[in-house]
Amino acid sequence: MSKSITLIWQLLRKHISIFELAIFFIANLIGMVVILAGVQIYSDLKPLLSGEEAIIGNDYIVVTHPVKRVGINATSFSNDDIEELQNQEFVKSVGRFTSSQFEVDGSIVFGGRRLSTMLFFESIPDEFIDAIPDTWGFTEGDTTIPIILPRNYLNLYNFGFSSTQKLPQITETMVKSVNLGIELSGNGHTNEFTGRVAGFSDRINTILVPEAFMSWANGYYANVATDFPTRLILEVANPSDPNLMEFLEANDYVLESKPAESGKALFILKVCVAIIVVIGVIFSLLSIIILTLSIHLLLQKNITKLETLTLIGYTPSRVAMPYNALTLALNGAILILSLAVIFVAQNIYSDYLSQLDGITISSSPIASIVVGVALTALITAFNIFVINRKIKEISRKR
Amino acid sequence: MDIIRLNRVVPQIFSNREDLSGDIWGKDFSFERGKRYLINASSGTGKSTLCSYLYGQRGDYQGTILFDNNDISTLSTNQWCEIRQQSISHLFQDLKLFGELTALQNVEIKNNITHSKSQSEILALFEELGISDKIDTRIDRISFGQQQRVALIRALCQPYSFLLLDEPISHLDDANSEIMRTIIERDAKAKGAGIIATSIGKHINFDYDLCLNL
Repeated sequence: MSKSITLIWQLLRKHISIFELAIFFIANLIGMVVILAGVQIYSDLKPLLSGEEAIIGNDYIVVTHPVKRVGINATSFSNDDIEELQNQEFVKSVGRFTSSQFEVDGSIVFGGRRLSTMLFFESIPDEFIDAIPDTWGFTEGDTTIPIILPRNYLNLYNFGFSSTQKLPQITETMVKSVNLGIELSGNGHTNEFTGRVAGFSDRINTILVPEAFMSWANGYYANVATDFPTRLILEVANPSDPNLMEFLEANDYVLESKPAESGKALFILKVCVAIIVVIGVIFSLLSIIILTLSIHLLLQKNITKLETLTLIGYTPSRVAMPYNALTLALNGAILILSLAVIFVAQNIYSDYLSQLDGITISSSPIASIVVGVALTALITAFNIFVINRKIKEISRKR
Repeated sequence: MDIIRLNRVVPQIFSNREDLSGDIWGKDFSFERGKRYLINASSGTGKSTLCSYLYGQRGDYQGTILFDNNDISTLSTNQWCEIRQQSISHLFQDLKLFGELTALQNVEIKNNITHSKSQSEILALFEELGISDKIDTRIDRISFGQQQRVALIRALCQPYSFLLLDEPISHLDDANSEIMRTIIERDAKAKGAGIIATSIGKHINFDYDLCLNL
């Protein structure tokens, strides 16, 4: 068998054009490297942009009903509303804002004077909080209530209020060290607590207390277990998703805060990778066309020999064997070379990223190996199909 | 395969001709295994055409050709390849050797798929035909008469029920024709095969069962 292949090879290699094969080889190599680079970069960077160790997390948006007139509006969300939201494809999870149903009086001793104001608290499930402080949490009997303030409250004071009123600017650490007097009353109870600013949030625009505290306090001071929320926080994959916007509009929900620009990174990454992969696919398609034309030309030049081979009893598949072996070898070499290029590139950019920001890429090259092997198999199968079809055509000619 | 039947076979290019007076075109005729046939004809009357019909190279005829009871127009490419390996061997008039291969390689390329003769049997045939010194010479560097002998060795490197010889000795002298006759007779007899030889005058000297005119 191998002896006959050697002889056929000796016969049929004659018109093989090194130039055409080289063009195919280079074009397909470029295409393959570009595709695999796209795949590898995507699989390397995706965990950084989503999932547990995301540097840029999923996006969170807060929705409310619109306030349309002065007075009491029907602005709460029913359980059905919440369930409907939860069932949407673009919504990953829904968190309820729970508001305090009792009176809150906050006071602070500032420069010898006691300033006091009425306050309200809200809570959301912990998984929706962007930075959970170490002191976060509440168990019944605690006298200290940890509080998370929106960072822009502090900014408002520092950059808006204090400078114009000739008051000193304050730091986050200073704010955290201040004890607030908190008086809770309702349901026939009145108690004093100490409030402590435990942290600041960029995401949540309210005065947050732990959910555990809220459910205890609402039961104790207001004697209500749950109330329908007026605000919901949604975790979404892509805040710019047109489906999401459409849904909100259709249900007359209002987006409280515009999604953070940084959250679009994943979306942009996806678009970039898609563009890269499309370019790679175009290269590969062109190279496949070149190879197909080259094979056709080669078979055409060798047509007399191919006919004679079938006349002395060679089956078309046996005649095709050396050409199949040639494409297999070419495509195999392209696969190995392009994977090598990807591995080297991956090392370079992961080194660069780790120097840059201490980011470590734990991704394995599995993604590009799988895609590379699959693509090579596909391209080879197509080449072999073209070769066999052409040879059958030649041997059928009568 | 034991019999080749031709039922009113006429090449399409002859279909308008009224003057087909030979023994084959337009007639019912059978070639039987084990018998020897000589087809005598002047050039242009379709000797090679007949061979190419029987070998599946061409199908431009009217009528039917049956191998045993199978209409050959229905055979697939792979079935033809099988027949060309196992049932019919053809010494082509234009030889169809591969110019870039040596004499021995031209034989081996056939024997590699049929495994019909051993290396020593092949070398013995080269010896017998007086071309053992040409074994490693490229086929396009030797004379047509020598090439005819190489083509014969290749044709014998397979099992066959019928051997088609299309002007097999056109470029051979009498002594070499005689050697060729002996070899073919011996090989065909061992295989119990039929021989169909064509000639435009100078024909190989078998003890023919039937001489036909086209």
